[in-house]
Amino acid sequence: MRTLSKLLLTSALVFPVSSHAALTVFACEPEWAALAEEIAPGATTYTATTARQDPHHIQARPGLISKMRKADIVVCSGAELETGWLPVLQMKSANPNVQSRNKGLFFAADQVDTIGKLEKVDPTMGDVHPEGNPHLHLDPYRMVEIAQALAERMAKLDPENRDTYLANAKKFSESWETNIKRWEKEAAPLKGKNLVTYHSNFDYLLQWLSVNVVGDLEPKPGLPPSTQHLASLLNLSKKTHIDAIVYASYQDKKGADWLSQKAGVPAIELPMSVGGSAQSNNLISLYNDLIKKLLEVTRRPENS
Amino acid sequence: MPGVYSPVMSTDFQCASFCKNAMAYKKPSLKRWAYSKMVKALILAAVSSTAIAEDFKPNFSLILDGHYKSSNSALSEYEKGFGLGHVELGVSAAIDDLFYGKFTGVVHEHDNKTEFETEEAFIQTLALPGGFSVRAGRFLSDIGYLNGQHTHSDSFVERPAVYRAMLGSHYYDDGVRLNYVMPTDTFWTIGTEAFGGNKMRAQGLNDPKSVGVYTAFTKIGGDFNEENSWQLGLSYLRNENGASMTSGHDEHDHHDEHSHSHDHSHSHSHDHGNAHSHSHDAQFTGKNTYIAEAVWKWAPDGNYKYQNLTLSGEYLQAEDISETIKGNQKNEGFYLSSVFQMTSQWAVGARYGEFKGYEAHGDHFHEQKLKESEFMVSWSHSHFSTVRLQYTRQTGDGFENIKNDIVTLQYVMSLGAHDAHTF
Repeated sequence: MRTLSKLLLTSALVFPVSSHAALTVFACEPEWAALAEEIAPGATTYTATTARQDPHHIQARPGLISKMRKADIVVCSGAELETGWLPVLQMKSANPNVQSRNKGLFFAADQVDTIGKLEKVDPTMGDVHPEGNPHLHLDPYRMVEIAQALAERMAKLDPENRDTYLANAKKFSESWETNIKRWEKEAAPLKGKNLVTYHSNFDYLLQWLSVNVVGDLEPKPGLPPSTQHLASLLNLSKKTHIDAIVYASYQDKKGADWLSQKAGVPAIELPMSVGGSAQSNNLISLYNDLIKKLLEVTRRPENS
Repeated sequence: MPGVYSPVMSTDFQCASFCKNAMAYKKPSLKRWAYSKMVKALILAAVSSTAIAEDFKPNFSLILDGHYKSSNSALSEYEKGFGLGHVELGVSAAIDDLFYGKFTGVVHEHDNKTEFETEEAFIQTLALPGGFSVRAGRFLSDIGYLNGQHTHSDSFVERPAVYRAMLGSHYYDDGVRLNYVMPTDTFWTIGTEAFGGNKMRAQGLNDPKSVGVYTAFTKIGGDFNEENSWQLGLSYLRNENGASMTSGHDEHDHHDEHSHSHDHSHSHSHDHGNAHSHSHDAQFTGKNTYIAEAVWKWAPDGNYKYQNLTLSGEYLQAEDISETIKGNQKNEGFYLSSVFQMTSQWAVGARYGEFKGYEAHGDHFHEQKLKESEFMVSWSHSHFSTVRLQYTRQTGDGFENIKNDIVTLQYVMSLGAHDAHTF
């Protein structure tokens, strides 16, 4: 017995990592890395993309394969956002832990209902997601649900730290409840404003804040703004009042700038995720910054 | 490579969609969320008693590839005029939580005859312990950089001359692969394969071995920073049937009295015809082949949507090319390629390649050389459609149809599953 306990003691000294830092997280986008860090602060978290990279067009780079090889859980948006590269990483990394959606493959879109689901998808519609809009991290209510689901999944994979994960999810949801109230109050003046957007990136955010999307710089999802399409938006601006043009931190601003100049409507870059602007260092400051920027850009015409 | 998501769904996931449908399109609030958890628990109890049908959704894809070529060219699968390239039909899916399967059929058109070939029909393990995977069936060998990739994702009309000469454009075969990814921060993989090797058989073999080709390869790669990524690789291919056997006297004597005058265009017409009927057989083989590869990719901010640059190069060398002719001649060649995507729809590229090979004729070799410069412009309306204009300049010696100026207009379009590409 004594030898056994000595052995156990030695192994506990040699491998002290088993109790904390138990999970290795591979996050497809920075918002999921930020969420994973809230739920599992002790985990080793790697982010595959930045807020300056379009997650539709990521290269299945060797560097990402080696990171996925070591992951216990892969946290991604899902709804086919990562369909051009994630399957390659899964297969090439040969990591059995992250292959299936009921184990270490966590899709945020599986946990909540998505908007913009399509019954029928036809290739002429452009680059659409039949499973709905995958940019769901910009709806705070959905984020609370996803946080809970992520905590439960992490608890399932790492039962030893179950209590920590669930407690952190509760802490997260409490903090968000307060913040949601504040954001909704702050963003009240945005209600009913008309925006032209680029792709459906901000649909969840704008729907939550009751902001109207009156036009899209893309003629069809995934296609770049064409001259003809921009001209039609210019026409639209003469008939409908447009408060602002918004585009994401990884999108080309040429189309937005052109329309902004011609139509005399302000255009602004919004952070798509954590790290997409100087002010957005975590999920809460990302929301703060998005609302602040939207308020500023839509307020401008009245001041001038 | 399309999705490998397991079709096996948890009751949890099933419920998530059920429950949400019950409260369709209403903005969730925290109270509703609590309520939904209750409904979820109830439904979960109801569903868990019944078996859940697997949501099986295989990926189907069809690649349409066609072109117009201004003239014939050396070592080409494509002839002058209108033609079809690799028309591919693919089906792939995770079979269960342990296996993934893929089938790719290719339609070829040669001399007005339609040939149907199975290019891929393999299974791959998904759940071997950490880092190991096994692939079996017919598949593309993972030697070199380009060989493991599908031709429809290439940036030029055809593979480089050295690939066309030494690997039959792309080497796929019936066999098995064992692969291991190291648990290192820098990507490092090693793999080995065994193949039948029919496509790599040298001429004149009387008793070829049934498992003829063994390969071993290693690749390392990583990111210099957010914007720059790299990969290097070394491959070795052992071909038991790679050295040619020729009889002591020139076998072309019977139909060409002047063969010793090295009238290449004439004496090689036989070989050339042969190459056309078996388009994917390698013409230049050897017992030992070595490949070195290097790739570097760059995109501003690492955002590949609008602009990116890919530089790649490979060197191939085959030694011990004949059993019967003495000499240390080697088949060898290389290419250097640079492709710049200027906007989300337009890309330009330049590639230069050389190949030098030896064909056995009786007791001596005939040297053949080809140099190839290519320039291309491509326009992709969407992910699914590309139109490419390419100018090719060939110079060389010993090959039929070496042509100075070739212009090719090509389209490559895909229907169906969103294709995922490797690095």
